[in-house]
Amino acid sequence: MDFKHPFISNPKLAIFYALFWLIAALANVLILTFSNGIDFVIASVEVFSFIIIYAIIGTAIWFVIKFSTLENNSIYRIVLAHVIAATIIVFIWMYSGVVFIKLLHPNAGMWLQKGVINRIFGGYMLYIIYVVFFYAVNYYKGFKEKLQNESQLKALVKEAELHALKSQINPHFLFNSLNSISSLTMTDPKRAQEMVIDLSQLMRYSLKHDQNEKVTFQHELENNKLYLHIEKVRFGRKLNPVFEIDKKCLQAKIPNMILQPLYENAIKYGVYEATDPVEIETRCKCSDEVLEVIITNNYDSNVISKKGEGIGLRNIRERLQIIFGSPHFLKIDDNKKEFKVTLTIPQK
Amino acid sequence: MSEKLTTIIVEDEELARNLLKSFLGEIENVEIIAECENGFEGVKTINELKPDLVFLDIQMPKITGFEMLELLEHKPQIIFATAYDQFALKAFEFNAADYLLKPYSKSRLLEAVEKVAERIKKEGTTSEVIEKISNFPREDFLDRIVVKDRHKIHIVPVDQVKYIESMDDYVMIYDAKGHYLKQKTMKYFEAALNPKNFIRIHRSYIVKVDEINEIQQYEKESYIVILHDKTKLKVSKTGYRNLKSVLNF
Repeated sequence: MDFKHPFISNPKLAIFYALFWLIAALANVLILTFSNGIDFVIASVEVFSFIIIYAIIGTAIWFVIKFSTLENNSIYRIVLAHVIAATIIVFIWMYSGVVFIKLLHPNAGMWLQKGVINRIFGGYMLYIIYVVFFYAVNYYKGFKEKLQNESQLKALVKEAELHALKSQINPHFLFNSLNSISSLTMTDPKRAQEMVIDLSQLMRYSLKHDQNEKVTFQHELENNKLYLHIEKVRFGRKLNPVFEIDKKCLQAKIPNMILQPLYENAIKYGVYEATDPVEIETRCKCSDEVLEVIITNNYDSNVISKKGEGIGLRNIRERLQIIFGSPHFLKIDDNKKEFKVTLTIPQK
Repeated sequence: MSEKLTTIIVEDEELARNLLKSFLGEIENVEIIAECENGFEGVKTINELKPDLVFLDIQMPKITGFEMLELLEHKPQIIFATAYDQFALKAFEFNAADYLLKPYSKSRLLEAVEKVAERIKKEGTTSEVIEKISNFPREDFLDRIVVKDRHKIHIVPVDQVKYIESMDDYVMIYDAKGHYLKQKTMKYFEAALNPKNFIRIHRSYIVKVDEINEIQQYEKESYIVILHDKTKLKVSKTGYRNLKSVLNF
């Protein structure tokens, strides 16, 4: 929260405020002098003492507003806070007004007693005007901030979307698949056709959804099976996907295309470097609160490949951060024989 | 052309191999004498059969196509094949290598084969491109070094290397298990290894920072580095400056 007074953060507003009170004070003095026939000096002393003091003390009302915002407090608390604050301010105002007048012009105090009730009433009225004014200022500030945040958030989401998209349609995967298709058209046109259809469906799925959208686990799984099916054509017996899926989890929600980079990783680090078959196993658990997806692949630890976390995993963490506000829903266990990824998706 | 080009295919994917075979089957002057599924097989078969031409996939299990090239004693003409690899493309274009982008057409393949046939007529079967390609400056630092002795191919992770010593046209790479000869220059390794971890301390030595136990004054103006395993290595003046700037002393 920003506790800076709007007059400090916005000097223009402070100048308008000062001008407003000066003009109001001047008008008051003129009215008192010409229509009420009070002595100019006395009128000046009186008006300036009361009005200028209120103008100065009144700026403090902003803090009362700030600490009793309409959003976070009950109406009784707000009213109570304002009644107390108004009483304190009116008291200080009256007291210092009297002190000032007596200091500047002892005679002016004579007719002071007459208007005490009116004056107190006026003090409370002014307080209300202030409250309305500051709430308006505050509301406007908040509104502007919100607009700014929103556009920032939108830009962030967009960036993430682009980022994610980039890694999902891996050109390496695409071109190699096309090469496999090219090969199959000569030897096995029927399989080539199947592969073209699988590939198209997968591409459509990856393009269709925006990054925040959630789909059913079933839907996500079907499309990832397409991916694995396509890769299976390339890698043959080296790639062995195994699914152990509890049917009651199929309706759980999951961000779309979040599993694909996990399979891609398993293929890249497990299958690709292997000469023996590699099993990629998918299991799941679910409750009302969470869906847990566990993907495991064995790999040859003798192969030294690129260190560090691949772009795929980083991407998933980023997406989890954006969607659920935490990157810790992705857990990795690597025992040098088996690589295990556990993805936890909140269902609420 | 009367003589047929003896050709070996090194490609890990069966479908890609099938495609290449069926395309090549229709080209008269090409004779496929072997197929290899990975780089290990590739090295062995190429050194043994000494083909005129090799079709080489870049991304393969165990060792990449580029790493395989470094291990060849017989250096045939190469036609590279890759699906998508920006580093490889740069290297090919810079060194005028023949390459095919997957998926490729038969006419594109024919074009590449004809070019190679021309080149063989002019230069013979030995290819210079291999040398150039394997010395092409990488964008990232090396993770592993592939070496070969008489019987075996070793993959040495860079973090296990202790130091490298120059031996004329070769370098000797020392790790905890032993040492390996490799036909590369010190200059190559100086550029290919991360300078934060490896320092050139002498014309003849590149040493891994973590292996250094002590730097000792030896004579008035010369120093030696003593490694954790008690190996002593000479340090030149420039080498001492390099040590100073990396280790901040």
